[in-house]
Amino acid sequence: MVSRTVIKIAGENGMGGLSSVGEPLQKALKRLGFFIHSEREFPSTIKGGKASNTFNISTQPVRSLSQKIDIAIGLDREGVKDALETLSNGGILIHAFDRWNKVIKDLPAQEEAKNLRVVLIPAREIAVENGGSLIMVNTVLLGYLWKVLGFEIEILKTEIAEQFSSKPGLINLNLKCLEAGYNYDSGESLPALNIAKPVEILKTILIDGNTSLALGAIQAGVRAYYAYPMSPSTSILVYLAKVSHKTEMLVKQAEDEITAVQMALGSMHMGTRSLVFTSGGGFDLMTETISLSGMIEVPLVVGIVQRPGPATGLPTWTSQADLNLAIYSGHGEFSRIVIAVSDPTSCYLEIQNAFNLAEKYQTPVIILSEATIAMSYETVGVFEDNLIPVVRNLVKPENLESLQNSDRYKITENGISQRWLPGQSKTTFFANGDEHWEGGELTEEADKSEQMIAKRLRKTETIIAELPEPEIYGMEKTKLAIIGWGSTKNVILDAIEILKDQNIEVNYLHYTYLWPLKTDKFLKFIETNPNFFIIEGNHGGQLADLLQKETNLNPQEIDQRKLNKWNGRPFFVEEIIEFVKTKI
Amino acid sequence: MSQLHELISKSQEFSEFETKQKHTWCSGCGNFGILNALQRALVLENIKPHEALLCYDVGCNGNASDKINSYTIHGLHGRVLSLASGAALANTKQEVIAIAGDGATFSEGINHLVHAVRNDYPITFILHNNNNYGLTIGQASSTTKHGFAMSASPDGVIADPLNTLDFVLSLKPSFVARSFSGDVEHMTRTIQSGLNHPGFSYIEIMQACPTFNKATPQEWYWDKIKYIEDYPDYNKNDIWQARKMVENMETQLAIGVLYEKTEQTDFLQKVESRKNSTTELTQEVQNRSIQELLQEFV
Repeated sequence: MVSRTVIKIAGENGMGGLSSVGEPLQKALKRLGFFIHSEREFPSTIKGGKASNTFNISTQPVRSLSQKIDIAIGLDREGVKDALETLSNGGILIHAFDRWNKVIKDLPAQEEAKNLRVVLIPAREIAVENGGSLIMVNTVLLGYLWKVLGFEIEILKTEIAEQFSSKPGLINLNLKCLEAGYNYDSGESLPALNIAKPVEILKTILIDGNTSLALGAIQAGVRAYYAYPMSPSTSILVYLAKVSHKTEMLVKQAEDEITAVQMALGSMHMGTRSLVFTSGGGFDLMTETISLSGMIEVPLVVGIVQRPGPATGLPTWTSQADLNLAIYSGHGEFSRIVIAVSDPTSCYLEIQNAFNLAEKYQTPVIILSEATIAMSYETVGVFEDNLIPVVRNLVKPENLESLQNSDRYKITENGISQRWLPGQSKTTFFANGDEHWEGGELTEEADKSEQMIAKRLRKTETIIAELPEPEIYGMEKTKLAIIGWGSTKNVILDAIEILKDQNIEVNYLHYTYLWPLKTDKFLKFIETNPNFFIIEGNHGGQLADLLQKETNLNPQEIDQRKLNKWNGRPFFVEEIIEFVKTKI
Repeated sequence: MSQLHELISKSQEFSEFETKQKHTWCSGCGNFGILNALQRALVLENIKPHEALLCYDVGCNGNASDKINSYTIHGLHGRVLSLASGAALANTKQEVIAIAGDGATFSEGINHLVHAVRNDYPITFILHNNNNYGLTIGQASSTTKHGFAMSASPDGVIADPLNTLDFVLSLKPSFVARSFSGDVEHMTRTIQSGLNHPGFSYIEIMQACPTFNKATPQEWYWDKIKYIEDYPDYNKNDIWQARKMVENMETQLAIGVLYEKTEQTDFLQKVESRKNSTTELTQEVQNRSIQELLQEFV
C-alpha cells in the first residue's frame, strides 16, 4: 500500500518564510529516510499573492502531487486563507495569525464545514520570550509542526544549525525558538497522523529538474552556457554560474535570447559543447538560429522549460504546450531531434544523450522540460559519472590531413557527412547559411539545391532507425492504457501503483523521444490495449494529434481519447485515478 | 619594405587564400577592394587560411562567403557579432573576423554591437558601410543621408543618419578605426592594426556603392578624406579627441586608427571561472565528474 502524507507551508509571496521553513523541513524529512516530492507554487511577483511549498512524503518513492493536504502551516494572512481553502477534510492548520477574527471572519465556519483542526500558536510571544525576532515566528511554527508530525527534534536541529551556518549569531536563537515551538503545549489533542516511518535510509539525493539538467550538462562536457533570464529556466543559469569556479565553465548571461543561441552555435561550430536553455517565448526568438543549425549542419542543443503561453502567459506555472513549437519551429525543412525529460534522473541522462545525438547527426536537438519538473524536488538515486560516454563523431586525427573540402557536406546515403573543426585541418570548408554545394560553396543551381536539401533531410530516416522506442510501464495488456510524455509519466506511475492496490491494472506507454516519432511500438500497444487514452498538459492534445497524423488513425476517435489539463497546474494523482475509474 | 613589395615576397601565401568562385558584385563595388585588403592583411600578419574563421553576415558582403579560402561561417542577418563572439571564446587560437553591413549592424542587430563592444569580445569586426541595403536593391539604412530617395522611401529618407562612430565611441570601445574602400593599402594597414588588437576591434569601411548610393559616390569621399597621421598632435589614446574628430559627417572624414585604449584587456581574463585556464574550451569536452557537486543534495 502506497500511503503518503502531505504537508503544506503557505504564505505571502516574497516574505522569505517559505524557504526558511521549507528547506530545513525538507532536508530533515530526507534524513529520516522519507521519499519526497515537493512543489513550489508562486505568482510572478516580487512581493504579494499567495505562495506555497507542498511536501508529499512516503516510505515508497513518490513522484507526483496529491490534491489532499493533511497538515498546513499558515505563515501569515495569505497563508491561513490558502490553507483553509486547500486542506482536506479533517486536516490540521497551524498558524500564528492572531488577528484572524478581523480579516478572516469565516474561519470558524470553514473549520467546521471541513472538520478542520485549527491551532493558533502564540508564536510571536514565544519568539520574543526566547530572545528571537519576529521572523523567528516561522521557526516556532516549524518546531510545533515537527512535534505534531511525531518526529524527534534532534534531526531538525541539525538542519536548522546548517541553514544558519553562515550567520552563527542566529543559530542559538533559532534553536531556542524551535525547541520552544516543539515543546509548546496548545492543550489541543490533535488527531494522530499515523505516518509510517521509513525502516531503512537509502542513499539518495533530493534535487530539482533544473539542477539535474545543469549537472547532466557538466557531466556531458558542456563548457559554455549562454542564456537570457526567463522563468522557469533561470535557475539553470544561476546554478551553473554559482558552480563555475569549480567547473571552469564559461557561463555568460547574454543580452537577449538571439545572442545566447548565436553564441552557443558559434561555440559549437568551433568545436566545444555549449548549451542554451529558455522558455517558450525565448525559444520563439531563437528559431531562426535553429534553422541555421539545420542548414550548416552544426550541432546545437537548446532546451525549453515550458510554461503556459501564449505570450507572457503564466510565467511561474507549468505546461506541455510547446511540443508543436519544438517540432515545427524554424523556417525551411531540416532534420531535428526532440527529447522530453520527465523527472530529475531523466533530466540528468537525456541532456547527455542530446549532445551525443546532436554531434552524431549534426542537427539541432531540442529538449523539452516543464516548470513542474524544473522546480519540483524529488528524492532519486545518486547520479553516477560516466554512464553515457561523450561520443563526438568527429574525423579521426589520423584522417585530418587527407580530407577534401567537399567531404564536409558530401552527398551521402544516410545524410551524414564528415565533420571536423575549424583549425583542425589544413583543409578548410565553408559553413554557409545560403544553399551550398559539398565544400560549402554557394550554389543556386536547381539540381545541386535539390540534392543538398534531400541529403540533409535523409538524416531523419537515419535518426528514426536508431532512436529508442517509447517505453511500456506495467503489464503488456490491461483494461485501460495510458500514453503520455514529459511530467505526466510521474503522476501516472503513482496512480498505477495506487490503482493496483485496488485491483485495477493500468499500463502506460511513455514517449521520451518525440521527433522523429517512432510509431511501431505505439501501434502494437494500442492493438493490444484498445481502451487507451493520451494524457497531456495542454489544450489541444499535441502528442495525440501527432500520433494520429503519423499513423493515419481516425481523428474523431483520437479526439475521444484525449485527457487534457491546461490551467498551469500539473495533474494530481487523484485526477488520474478518478479518470481511470470512469473509463474502465 | 612597401606593402606591395612585402606582398610580392608572399605571393605563394596570398594565392592560398584564392578560391575559384565567381564574384557577383556590381562593377565598381567597394567590396572588391575590401576583400583584397582583408586577404592582404591576413597574409601580412602571417595567418594561414586554416588558422582563421571568417564570419559573414547577410547582404552583399556575405556573398564573399566563399571567395576567400578559410574556415567560415555565413550566418543570419544582423547576428554575426554574437555568432563570431561565441566562436572566438571557444577557441582563442583561431583568428576570428566578423564582417557585416550597415543594415545588419545598425538596424537588425544593433543590440549585438552594443554588447560586443561593452564585453570587448576578442574579435575583429569589419563594417561595410555603403549607406544602404544593396542586396535587396537599394532601400535606406540608418546611415543613408536625410532626404535622399531610396526604393522604399521614394519621397526621401525622413530620419537623420546615425553617426556610427560617435555611437560606438559612446560605448567605451577599446579600438575604433575607419578606412575607405577606395584605398586598399590603407584598409590593409587598418585591418592589420585591428588584428593585432586583443579585444573587440571596430573597423568601419566607408564603402562606395555605385549602383544604389548616388548620394555619396567615390569622389564625394575622396574630397573629404584626410589621413589621421596628417592631423598634428592627434592622440589616438584620447577618446574625447576621437569623439570630436568624428562629429562632422559632411566635410571632414578622418581615416586611420581613431582610438585605441591604452590598457589592453582580454574578455576571458575578466571571467573568474576562466582566467586561470590554460586550455581552450574546445579542448575540454569530456565526461566531467559531478560527484563533488552532488554533496549539496545528498
